[in-house]
Amino acid sequence: MLDLTEKEKKVLKILINGLPICERPYYKIAQNLDLSEEEVLNIIKSLIEKKIIRRLGITLRHNLAGIEGNAMVAWKVPEEKVEEVGNALASLPFVSHCYLRKTYEDWPYNLYTMLHAKNKEELFKLIQNISEKFKLFEYEVLFTKKEIVRKHAQYLL
Amino acid sequence: MSENPKKEKFKKLLNYIQDNFPLHPRPFQVLSKKFKLSEKEIIDYLKQLKEKNIIRHFGATINSHKLKYTTCLCATSIPENKIDIAYKIAELPEITHAYLREHKLNFWFTIISKSEEDLLNIIQSLEKTYSLKIKAFPATKKFKVKAVFEL
Repeated sequence: MLDLTEKEKKVLKILINGLPICERPYYKIAQNLDLSEEEVLNIIKSLIEKKIIRRLGITLRHNLAGIEGNAMVAWKVPEEKVEEVGNALASLPFVSHCYLRKTYEDWPYNLYTMLHAKNKEELFKLIQNISEKFKLFEYEVLFTKKEIVRKHAQYLL
Repeated sequence: MSENPKKEKFKKLLNYIQDNFPLHPRPFQVLSKKFKLSEKEIIDYLKQLKEKNIIRHFGATINSHKLKYTTCLCATSIPENKIDIAYKIAELPEITHAYLREHKLNFWFTIISKSEEDLLNIIQSLEKTYSLKIKAFPATKKFKVKAVFEL
């Protein structure tokens, strides 16, 4: 399907599941795969260069990291302002995701942002600020009530 | 009010390794030099956070599109008394994210699939099985994708 070598696939699978937390994690992976530590490191480097790996590191559970005001906000942004507003919102530190998405007649909101704040009150202040600054007065706040699942996909490599 | 200096160091470490885990045979040793903590201290600390579930994942985050997968955000309304449906859907292997949100459209989830056709099939089968009306919101442009937090 994709131009990945067998070795790359094996390493990628392990990295998706997770690195072991020990002195020499790459060596441990290498041992399990019957590769050398150097090979494993080079494969990871190449997967990062090919942008197949977006990020290597830890992912924090943000509601446990003291961030409890999380919401997806869907904004109605006029077509001609989409680039400007999209880039501006993407540059804000408390915005983790900013996507343009398909709209419907009964759902005209095209720009989606994930916003994160310490609490609900702070969150609504941020939303208010964005609304005023960019003159976006039509939007839907989809406050996160509960995260049921957030997992890494099971890729068939 | 001065923060505990060690706590500050750990905080900086966590900010750093969300994105920049060293590609080096002794990555924690590299970090220990950078953050003036011992290698063992760092390993013990991260193990502890992993156990407490504060670290959700330690590894690679994949660009699914590069692997020729397609993902799609979907939303639906599920009556409160049938909310267990959301949990059933969330368990499916094709669902990578599932959230209950405070809105009429109260259940939002992401489907990953190998093709546009698979995606439509999954949506149709969910609609039929659970008598739902699902709205699909495929992304047309991504301005930012970053699940990294400044602590």
